Amino acid sequence: MIVVSEMLPVIMAFVAALISIVATWLAVQERDMLIATLFSALQSTCYALIYYLLMAPDIVLVYLPVSVGILPLITIILIKKTERYEE
Amino acid sequence: MRLSDIAIGVSMAMLALLLSYLIVYGGLGPIATLNLRPLAVSFLNYTYNPWKIVYSAMSPEAVTAIVWDFRGLDTYFETSVLFIAIVGLIALFRGANVVQGVSSKGLSIIVKTSTKLVAPLILVAGASLAFHGHLSPGGGFQGGSFMTVAMTLLAIAFSIEFFQQKKLTLNRLLAIRCIGLLAIVVVSVYLLVKAVLLGGYAYIFQNMPRINSQYSMPSWFLDRPLAGILFFFNLSESIAVIGGLTLGVVLLLLREEELKAIIGGGEHE
Repeated sequence: MIVVSEMLPVIMAFVAALISIVATWLAVQERDMLIATLFSALQSTCYALIYYLLMAPDIVLVYLPVSVGILPLITIILIKKTERYEE
Repeated sequence: MRLSDIAIGVSMAMLALLLSYLIVYGGLGPIATLNLRPLAVSFLNYTYNPWKIVYSAMSPEAVTAIVWDFRGLDTYFETSVLFIAIVGLIALFRGANVVQGVSSKGLSIIVKTSTKLVAPLILVAGASLAFHGHLSPGGGFQGGSFMTVAMTLLAIAFSIEFFQQKKLTLNRLLAIRCIGLLAIVVVSVYLLVKAVLLGGYAYIFQNMPRINSQYSMPSWFLDRPLAGILFFFNLSESIAVIGGLTLGVVLLLLREEELKAIIGGGEHE
C-alpha cells in the first residue's frame, strides 16, 4: 500500500499537469495575444514544476529562464511589432 | 462545434490521467525508487571516483560530467546548432546599429529602480549556477540564460540605448560570444596540443588522465574539486550564451528607424 506522503509528488505533478492543460487551452482560445503569452508562461511554469518533481533539477534550471523568461519576451516583442488582437 | 470542444477537453484530461497512471504504476516506475538501474549505478560509480581516475570525470555532479565529459562531442555540436541559429539572425540584421535618441528613455522610474535592484541578483545567481556547474545542478547554458534574462530586463527597462552608452555595442556583444566559443575550442584541444608538443598521447575533450595518456586537466582548486574541463567549459559556455542571446534580443528590440536603414535603404543591393 502506498502512503500518502509517498504519493504527494505524484499528486502535485497531476495537479500541475491539469493546470497546464487548462492554461494551454486558454492560450489557444485567447484573442488577445499578450494574455495568450501569459497563459503560455503559466503552462511553462507548471511544466517546470513537473520536471522538478521528476527529479531533473538541471532541466528545470534550463527550462525556467528559456520558457518563462526569454520565450515570452521574444513573443511580446513580436506582438509589439505586429498586431495585438487576433481577428 | 460545442461538442468537439468538449471531446477535445475530455480526451486531453484522459491523456493526463493515463500519463499519471503510467507514472505511478507502470512505465516510469515510482518516483525516487531506492533500487537504481544498472546504467545509473555505472554513472554514479564513474562520475567521482578518486580510486579509478582513468575512468572518472572527478566531478560530484553526474549530469555535468555526462554532458561535458562522457559525451562532450555531442554537447559541442548542440552548442554549435544554437550558435549557428544566432549567426542566421546576425546575417539577417547585418549593418544594423543602435542609434541614440530615437525614442523614449526607457520605462518609468519605478520600473527602472526595481530593475536596478533585481538585475544584479539575477546576474549573481546565474554566475553561481555557471561557475558551480560541476558541484551542484546547473551549468554553462543554464547560468548563461539566467544572466541573459537579467540583461534583457536591463535592455527593456533602460532601452537599448543604455547598452550603447555603457560601451556594450553590438560588435562588442558579438566579440564576447566569439571569445566564449573560441575558449570552448581551445579547452577541448588543449591537452592534444600539449601532447603533440611534449610527446605522448592525448585525446580531444580529454579531462582526467586516461589509459595511454598521463596528461590531465587540474582536478582540484585549493580544497575544492575543479573537475578539469567541466569548469572551463561551463565558464566559456556561459560567456558565449550571454553574449549571443543578449545580441539576439537587442537585434530583435531594434526600432523601426534603425531597421529602415538596412531594409529600405537599398545600399546593400
